[in-house]
Amino acid sequence: MYLASYENNKPCIIENLPDINLLNSLGLRKGSKVSIKSRQFFGGPLVVQIGTRCVAIDKKIAEQIVIKEVH
Amino acid sequence: MHCHNTGSRKLPPSAPDDIKILLMGNPNVGKSVIFSKLTGMDVLTANYAGTTVSYTAGNVNYRSKSATLIDVPGTYSLEATSPAEQVAVNFLEEGANVIICVLDATNLERNLNLALQIKHKDVPIIYSLNLIDVAENKGISIDVEKLEEELGAPVIPTVATRNVGLKDLLDRAWEVALKEPVAIKPVQMSHDERWQEVGRIAEKVQVVEHRHPTFWDKLGDALVQPFPGLPLAIIILTLSMLFVVGGGQGLRALLLLPILDNYYIPAITSLVAYFIPEGILFNLLVGEYGVLIKGIEWPFFLILPYVTLFYVVMSFLEDSGYLPRLGILLDSLLRRIGMLGSNVVPMVMGYGCAVPAILGTRAANSQKQRLMITSLVALAVPCTAQSGAFIALLGDQSILALVFVYMVSFVAILIAGSILNRVIPGETDPMLMEVPNLLRPSVSALSQKIFIRIKQFLLEAEIPMVLGILFAAVLVETGLLLVIGDLLKPLVEGWLGLPKEASLALMLGIVRRELGVLPLLELELTTLQLIVGSLVALFYLPCVTVMAIIIKEFNLKLSIYVIGFTTIIAFTLAGLFNQVARLLGFQ
Repeated sequence: MYLASYENNKPCIIENLPDINLLNSLGLRKGSKVSIKSRQFFGGPLVVQIGTRCVAIDKKIAEQIVIKEVH
Repeated sequence: MHCHNTGSRKLPPSAPDDIKILLMGNPNVGKSVIFSKLTGMDVLTANYAGTTVSYTAGNVNYRSKSATLIDVPGTYSLEATSPAEQVAVNFLEEGANVIICVLDATNLERNLNLALQIKHKDVPIIYSLNLIDVAENKGISIDVEKLEEELGAPVIPTVATRNVGLKDLLDRAWEVALKEPVAIKPVQMSHDERWQEVGRIAEKVQVVEHRHPTFWDKLGDALVQPFPGLPLAIIILTLSMLFVVGGGQGLRALLLLPILDNYYIPAITSLVAYFIPEGILFNLLVGEYGVLIKGIEWPFFLILPYVTLFYVVMSFLEDSGYLPRLGILLDSLLRRIGMLGSNVVPMVMGYGCAVPAILGTRAANSQKQRLMITSLVALAVPCTAQSGAFIALLGDQSILALVFVYMVSFVAILIAGSILNRVIPGETDPMLMEVPNLLRPSVSALSQKIFIRIKQFLLEAEIPMVLGILFAAVLVETGLLLVIGDLLKPLVEGWLGLPKEASLALMLGIVRRELGVLPLLELELTTLQLIVGSLVALFYLPCVTVMAIIIKEFNLKLSIYVIGFTTIIAFTLAGLFNQVARLLGFQ
């Protein structure tokens, strides 16, 4: 499942993600627990919470981030 | 020429035994706040990543030893991805006596990643654990002693905005810098190893307990939801404009104009008349374009109220962390014209002044984004001084005309943006940006910032304005203006439909943007003429300072393009508008 198509406000774990340095630096790594706080119309960015902080991620990048649900 | 920090300045000459201190860390952790508190220097700070795009150096004298403190642009890692980050990497390679690595306590993991990368270089280091007040509110507590143990260096908790811990920080920095350096063996660690190490340290030193979100947390979340974020954005921007326009008009009508008309002008005129007989010199001083009249009236009584109120609003938006949120909401719209949400920050800054906006593009990752923002700001974004002039010119006669000019500016940005997007090669970057905490701006930080900006505006504006007015006065008094007016008659009268004295605005507009508008105040123009004159000024050349910055940041070629295109677009659009309006029977 990809992050871009996951529900809002439900935690999930990143399983795989594109090789972009800034993603790592912003705290998105394999195994990070994240949840989507908001999404925009017309393919705008997703706001994703990691720990206590939020990061805006382009929808195109979010479409390449593989996640799994947390039960 | 200008007092914005452009970064190509050399470091101030320092004695060889001076201590050299680098302030490093992730973006938006408070390095510039610490810098301005320690050096007492004026540095602009804001609540989002990328405020410092080049370094600033300053002196600190402490315990009878002087040090050069360098505020390095923030970087997420040492793999430079933008020109601003490259600056940071270069500084690290040059070395220093000590690095103060600033950590954001609300975001320890990410900050530790950079901290470990810096630690593994061969430079002594101490850590400032900043924003501990915000961390506490969020329920984050960090065991400082354990963190010191893990990092093998002093860690000083600080709240830079409130001066907490800064003396301690200096004490430790001095201790470390004056000690004989111990050679540190540089460590090589792979990405994954480093992140594992970060995870291990964070686990050990940090406890996060769940706290109920504060009002500002909730508001911060709400502002990035399309609903209520978009309606709130419209409300916030409308209120901001009303505050600047209405507040400025009110200040002028109730306070400034009475002072000017009843006290200042009569007083200065009779004072000059006492010493100088009527004649050319008298007119140069207090005549139609008298330097002592217009040189005071235009900057102080006309432009300054709007500039001040604009910077009040802008500083508030910056320090609260709202602008990046606006960028998230607008990203999909901006993408249609080849820009991305994070470009909102330099664009909004452009409504203040184009110089910091163009410099601010250094935080953008791609050259395409830098070129686009620079061109759009130079073409169609009026700076705050010019906006003040527009409001003064149009606001009294017709608010609709004022709204119309700004609508034209927006539409022009959209059209020019989509053309430039096709012309300039390259892809638009994907958006990837940290969302800062939404914070209640501190009143003292806000007032300091507004004060710095007003000071900068007056320092930059006063001399060119006085020279421009003097030039105007000479042209008017010698009758040269009529000669030039005759020469430009086909353009000014025939094509633009303005009186030929309006050619003065075209000449002065080269120096500063608002000077392309202010001379029109002295002519009695119809609403159509006011709009045409404003449209010319809107698209006309940016000021001399901006041209210099474009040459410096890019090259001469781009600045020639900008001069050519802005002038052609200004005369073509304003002239067409005039001709069509007249055909339709408007006067």
